Amino acid sequence: MKAGGAARSIFAGYHPLVNYLWFGYAILVPIFFTQPVYLAVSFASALAYSLYLGGRKALKFDLGFVLPLMVIAALFNPAFNHKGITILFYFHYNPITLESILYGICTAAMIGGVILFFTCYNALMTSDKFIYLFGRLVPAMSLIISMALRFIPRYTAQAKRIASARRGIGFDVSSGGFFTRLRNGGEVLSVMVTWALENGIETGDSMLSRGYGLPGRTAYSNYRFDARDRILLAVLAVLMAVSLACCITGAISVMYYPMFIMERVRPFAGIAYVCHGAVCLSPFALELREDAQWRSSRAGISAKPRARQEDANGTF
Amino acid sequence: MALFEIKGVSFSYPERERPALKDVSLSVGAGEFAVLCGKSGCGKSTLLRHLKTVLTPFGKRAGEVRFDGRLLSDVPQREQASRIGFVLQSPDNQIVTDKVWHELAFGLESLGEKTPVIRRRVAEMASFFGIQEWYEKSVAELSGGQKQLLALAAALAMQPDVLILDEPTAQLDPIAAEDFICTLKKINDEIGTTIILSEHRLEGALPRADRAVVMGGGEILCEGGASDVAHILKEKADPMLTAMPTPMRVYLALESAAAGHVPQTVREGRLYLQGVSGGRPPDTPDARGLSIGRRVTAALRDEAHPLIELKDVWFRYEREGRDIVKDLALRVCPGELVCVAGGNGTGKSTMLGVVTGENKYYRGRARTLGLDPKKAGGRALTDAGLAALPQDPQTLFTRATVFDNLIETAAACAKRRGEKPVPENIEADVRRVCALTDTADLMGFHPYDVSGGEQQRTGLAMALLTRPKLLLLDEPTKGMDSFFKEKFAAILGDLCAEGMGVLMVSHDVEFCAKYADRCALFFGGGIVSEGEPRAFFSGNSFYTTAANRMSRGIIENAVTAEEVIECVKLYIS
Repeated sequence: MKAGGAARSIFAGYHPLVNYLWFGYAILVPIFFTQPVYLAVSFASALAYSLYLGGRKALKFDLGFVLPLMVIAALFNPAFNHKGITILFYFHYNPITLESILYGICTAAMIGGVILFFTCYNALMTSDKFIYLFGRLVPAMSLIISMALRFIPRYTAQAKRIASARRGIGFDVSSGGFFTRLRNGGEVLSVMVTWALENGIETGDSMLSRGYGLPGRTAYSNYRFDARDRILLAVLAVLMAVSLACCITGAISVMYYPMFIMERVRPFAGIAYVCHGAVCLSPFALELREDAQWRSSRAGISAKPRARQEDANGTF
Repeated sequence: MALFEIKGVSFSYPERERPALKDVSLSVGAGEFAVLCGKSGCGKSTLLRHLKTVLTPFGKRAGEVRFDGRLLSDVPQREQASRIGFVLQSPDNQIVTDKVWHELAFGLESLGEKTPVIRRRVAEMASFFGIQEWYEKSVAELSGGQKQLLALAAALAMQPDVLILDEPTAQLDPIAAEDFICTLKKINDEIGTTIILSEHRLEGALPRADRAVVMGGGEILCEGGASDVAHILKEKADPMLTAMPTPMRVYLALESAAAGHVPQTVREGRLYLQGVSGGRPPDTPDARGLSIGRRVTAALRDEAHPLIELKDVWFRYEREGRDIVKDLALRVCPGELVCVAGGNGTGKSTMLGVVTGENKYYRGRARTLGLDPKKAGGRALTDAGLAALPQDPQTLFTRATVFDNLIETAAACAKRRGEKPVPENIEADVRRVCALTDTADLMGFHPYDVSGGEQQRTGLAMALLTRPKLLLLDEPTKGMDSFFKEKFAAILGDLCAEGMGVLMVSHDVEFCAKYADRCALFFGGGIVSEGEPRAFFSGNSFYTTAANRMSRGIIENAVTAEEVIECVKLYIS
């Protein structure tokens, strides 16, 4: 897979509510339940999905950043934590225990999994979705966030323009002595503030003119909650409920210190693992199913392509 | 029935002696397309702002405004928000949200419409304006013209009965401005929305409007069809005449009739000129014989010591990006005003960056005032005599009054020259520059409170305080009305006469044709053609002035309205 799959992601096409529910579960569960099987499943699905979405670029990031971070995290715990009864060896008169090594590995998997899920989040979730979620919670927030997203880049660009304009008549922020530069930088800021206040008046006028401040404002979004969202939401909700119930009731709880004990015998554990795995892998599975469907439906298209069709296919 | 009925409205801003509006009465009928014109500062904006309660300025007021038969103040805010659409001047300031779709929905959200209603209206608007392609985009990715179109669509999404537009094209380039006016006409024709437009670029708006209203000094000077207004203005010998489209000016200068249709478009102007010349005369008159309106500067020009010398210069912003400036050659000598014209996004401003060293070229040879801009820092170039005026002069102002801004700059410049900052000398310097740029009257004002043209002159004054030998201007005539342009051109003329070299980048073909010593067409990263304005513009057939398009084949080499008038007077009648 050369290019990432984020651009044609099917999961990104689901309603933000479904997206956020899934990301919420995927990111929070490993943080709160450090259960080795859960962590392993989470990490594996996060890795698979991030590679699917990000392609070659994601691989670079995973090897160059996530992996070293995980190694450090895995070494950190046994180096400083000497709890546990199974002493493997002594390092500078400090006991290194099996339990603390295990716990270190679990922490590393947790950190790695969460970071990878966040890269998936970045690849899939747009500011529109974020705004939508907040608009649901607090309608006024959606407008405020949307305005902030417009103004931050605008102000940055303006600050650059001011610095460049002032350079044009000899006031250079990047040359001269320390105090000259400080003063020139301060001037840019002062121009910025005046400019922002002055131009804000027109923005205010534009808002007032379009009825801002009338009672009963609604928050519009482009998203529709349709049948496919309903089905996925129901399935995810059931699976998550089972998995979380097992976590909370202690059915799959694990003890690291003083001795590593994992109660595998309880019959619920198997069900919990399956449910957790199904939740974590569901977006990835949806993407794969979509790709397969696309390939099979494309198989029906004539093999003798016109030049343009070739092009269109080449991008996938 | 009249949609808006303005009766005897007078208004003055707090702490200003002169009233902004004096006993203004005007009625605008449903479905009308009215154009409001006049010098900047004549009260156009103030009048328009009286047509919507939330935008009405504070101050002393008399008279009444009726909307749809009722006093405007009695019309509920909700109804006003929806039925009276307002579009302001700055494309950037009036857009509130970060996404195109959200901006379209903004007004409907305010009205508390439900999602399905908003979805339909927004879809309608996107389809009508053809913006479905950038519907999901960030506003930051749009061009100025697209932003202004979005502001218009956002106002129209609320289904107003009337659209009020306050100089909506002032910040746009001519092509985007023309598109915008066409869209207004389309809305007026196809939806029947009443349109009240204030505008200083009348070439596009006047022929499309039903009615022109001319304002001056807070009063309505005259109103009526474009032809009637033109005749009245001529009778009064009003200076607004110079702001009229070229064909009208030519007609009015040549004809003595006090009534009748006045040609407004280039097509009508051509027909008129053909009529006057009785078909194509055997020996076509040539404007090259004229000696009006143009400075003779060749004697002043110092060809041997160019201020700017670019040879085969290439530049790109990113290593993997495309070349923005390609194979560019340009010379600017002392004492000449060189105008570089060309479309949006062709790299004209980037070229200025190469000259100032802001953009480091990667191939070729460049010399600015004898220095290599790539190596010499910005400071060294400024010391050598380079000053650049940005497109938006607001980016220069750091102090609360025009006077303080100039004093501060003068003091800093004196310090840089190694002079002792003597207050008398600094003030004398400021006074000298003020006399040159005609900014003495603005001294006490906040630089944001003066008009766009005045801001431009204040910026110019600040640039001149650095005592430059070479001045770079980026779109200085943007947002200036025709009167300011004339004044501005006179200032530039004086500067060139003192031996300064001016390089100006502009969309404003008419300005270039009238005042430049040399014009160049910038396209695809380089200069495609250049020459003395008359030769340059008569060599182009599309990218040229209205006067030239109008007189092509009837009079040779005429590029300004004055030249056309003079030729007809001399050779034809």
